Amino acid sequence: MDQLFNIDFKKISSHSKKEVLERKKFFELFLKAGLPNKKDENWKFSDLHTIICQNFKQIQNYDDFKFDKKIEFIKDFDHNHIIIVNGVFKSFDLSFEEKDKVKIKNLNSLESSSNLSSNNLHNLNKALSIGGFNLEVEKDYKCKKPIIIYNYFASNLDNKIINNSNKIKLNQNSELILIEYNFGAKSKFFNNNFEKINLNNGSSLKNFVIQKTKCNGYFYKNISGTQDYNSSYQNFILSSGLKFNKIEINMDLEKENSNCYILSGLGLGNEEHQEIKTQINHLAPNCKSYQKIKNVLANDSNGVYQGKIFVKDIAQKTDAYQLSKALILDDLAEFNAKPELEIYADDVKCSHGSTSGSIDEDAIHYLMTRGIELSNAKKLLINGFLNEIFENLPEQYIKTFSEKIIKEQIDGI
Amino acid sequence: MKSSELKNQEYKYGFSTDIENFKAPKGLSEKTIRFISEVKKEPKWMLDWRLKAFNRLKVLKEPDWQKPKYPKINYQDLYYYSAPKSMKDKPKSLDEVDPKLIETYNKLGIPLNEQKRLSGVAVDAVFDSVSVATTFKGELDKKGIIFCPISEAIQKHPELVKKYLGSVIPISDHYFATLNSAVFTDGSFVYIPPNTKCPMELSTYFRINASETGQFERTLIIADKGSYVSYLEGCTAPMRDENQLHAANVELIALDDAEIKYSTVQNWYPGDKDGVGGIYNFVTKRGACRGKNSKISWTQVETGSAITWKYPSCILQGDNSVGEFYSIAITNNHQKADTGTKMIHLGKNTRSKIISKGISAGKADNTYRGLVDIGAKAKNSRNYTQCDSLLMGNKCGAHTVPYIKNKNSSSTVEHEATTSKINEDQLFYCNQRGLNQEEAVSLIVNGFCKEVLQQLPMEFAVEAQKLVSISLEGSVG
Repeated sequence: MDQLFNIDFKKISSHSKKEVLERKKFFELFLKAGLPNKKDENWKFSDLHTIICQNFKQIQNYDDFKFDKKIEFIKDFDHNHIIIVNGVFKSFDLSFEEKDKVKIKNLNSLESSSNLSSNNLHNLNKALSIGGFNLEVEKDYKCKKPIIIYNYFASNLDNKIINNSNKIKLNQNSELILIEYNFGAKSKFFNNNFEKINLNNGSSLKNFVIQKTKCNGYFYKNISGTQDYNSSYQNFILSSGLKFNKIEINMDLEKENSNCYILSGLGLGNEEHQEIKTQINHLAPNCKSYQKIKNVLANDSNGVYQGKIFVKDIAQKTDAYQLSKALILDDLAEFNAKPELEIYADDVKCSHGSTSGSIDEDAIHYLMTRGIELSNAKKLLINGFLNEIFENLPEQYIKTFSEKIIKEQIDGI
Repeated sequence: MKSSELKNQEYKYGFSTDIENFKAPKGLSEKTIRFISEVKKEPKWMLDWRLKAFNRLKVLKEPDWQKPKYPKINYQDLYYYSAPKSMKDKPKSLDEVDPKLIETYNKLGIPLNEQKRLSGVAVDAVFDSVSVATTFKGELDKKGIIFCPISEAIQKHPELVKKYLGSVIPISDHYFATLNSAVFTDGSFVYIPPNTKCPMELSTYFRINASETGQFERTLIIADKGSYVSYLEGCTAPMRDENQLHAANVELIALDDAEIKYSTVQNWYPGDKDGVGGIYNFVTKRGACRGKNSKISWTQVETGSAITWKYPSCILQGDNSVGEFYSIAITNNHQKADTGTKMIHLGKNTRSKIISKGISAGKADNTYRGLVDIGAKAKNSRNYTQCDSLLMGNKCGAHTVPYIKNKNSSSTVEHEATTSKINEDQLFYCNQRGLNQEEAVSLIVNGFCKEVLQQLPMEFAVEAQKLVSISLEGSVG
């Protein structure tokens, strides 16, 4: 582990000597336990240690933040934006919103909470964090247009590590649509991102993760959040095309009538490995959670879903649902799932389902007898399989936009 | 069954038999193992095998990933061998068996006495560490079926034992399996010759009687080509306020076209209402479908034990082989169960089916933990899993932890699970028709379990239904 990481702490801007010491302390903690491997239950199906060691000889941190390229904005619909280049928060534009209703600030690092994390990547993040953004929406303000986060990765990132973090807070009865739009040059790097979400009474956050181009990056994203009365969190993960991606979502439904939706539609191709891990904690009565994960796996791709629903004894009338479906197209592809329920309240409705299999041969036969050739018939069925997710996307303009992207991906399979 | 009857039936097998015991010295050591081997008059290869396991045990650690946590077991404070004194020189017929023992089994309702038999089930009864008697020997011999205590098989059929013992559960498997390999005392051995259908149900009855003992039985069942056997297993233990360890190993081997049906009604002492005492049931059960078209079917009704921790598994090696797992796990008061299965698909066209019903009441915790692993070569395989949990009250827990792996594009895996409480409309309907709350719950729960109960052989099904009702007694209202 010592040899793999070649870290220069001088490259990270720190405010004080104390901070440098703090960072070094966390880095040592990280080195002690190393990258998580499959002995760790959370990483059972995605052995990060092996994956990183196989693909990286040496990992360095990064301090060249010069950027002069012009970013191509999405023209399909009006939006506000935040620009992040190589993990660093660059600029923002909120021209569609009222003044002072949405606040975006630079975030230096996660509040240095000295409490130790059992997630060793959190220690790594704290040690090497290069900051991020802090987004807050004022009370009773409903954003008029979505905010797109342009997450650009340049070409000079080979063998680099990027640790960043962001915070999102929605005050009472506010609403926001946030689109994470990842694109960039094909360099091979490791991004370790932590995000904190705080949804107050009656607020609603719709979060989309869209991957534009194929990318050789290795991504780990950890989202943890808390939800107050009547709040709603929806996350739509459409991030196909990454070499490695693990998205971990931990949501605490702390107060009554809050709800959490996680939908994902992924088409994975050659040498791609994606994992979605969720833990939804139902801590109050009358909350609802809904998860639907759909994977299309081609070539030697690897799809993983680990979902856990926890229902506390007082959380009566919980309604929780979990479904993962995988379409395996090739013999080298693999799908692993662990849909888990841990329930301590009796008056609940909790269920989960998981299926994996190949394309229905009868359906292909049906289409072929009607003059559709094999490859087109397959595409049609794959499209139908994923459509269940896309149909449920809110906002028509996003639906149209993401359908365009997924069509390109399916054609690529 | 009327509710008044229900109330009085706490744990009716909780008596202990006052019988003189012959025990090994306390503690786990090479000396103990040599002692067991010597008492059993075992050949040297068997002793070597045990010692190999014991050496392996020294480097193994007790697993700690399972949900039910328990206080550390002091392995040096246990007796590893306990036998009724009268069994030291083996009785040749039932007449020579200590009448007190026969009385114990009569109390338990085990048909040891061939003359008085009604049910027509061949029984091997294991009392603490030794096998007491095996019935119906003559009739089975005629067909060439071997059904005897494993200690006898080691002496009389060493070639079979040598070939198959440890071939499904290797001695290095995990802590409790290895412990069993080192110190196992008795158990049943079954061999069904090719193209033979075993004419009756074979049954073993296990009873832990002596205190401070662990029971380590080992069962080995081999179904040769084209044969069929149905095997039943029942267990009870006296009420004691200490925890007793039961770590058994069961190995099944099905060759080409053979079928083994293994049914268990596990009713070890579950501890009292406050969770004092009870059996730790840490059992390793595994079957290998070695041959083509072979089938292994596990059915279990788990109502007893303070902690149950077992995963009867199928390794589907042969092409077209089938694995099935039907389970009811009922936990009440402070009981904890962490049970499920593993279906490992290796051969082509292999099929598996898992039906698991978990019922949790009182302050109990019930976990289904299962693995379905479809290998890259297991083309056209299928699995269907259904696990339902029923919760009664908000002090208990029901958990589902399935692991699903599919490495194959032509195989299909389906899994579904639900957790709910007893439907109030159903309860109301029953109440309206004059059933009281407890009777209604018992009826509904029996209906909930029906899919599994149907898989049990006749004699067991009746007993199991009663058990389901008794286990939930006092959990309503």
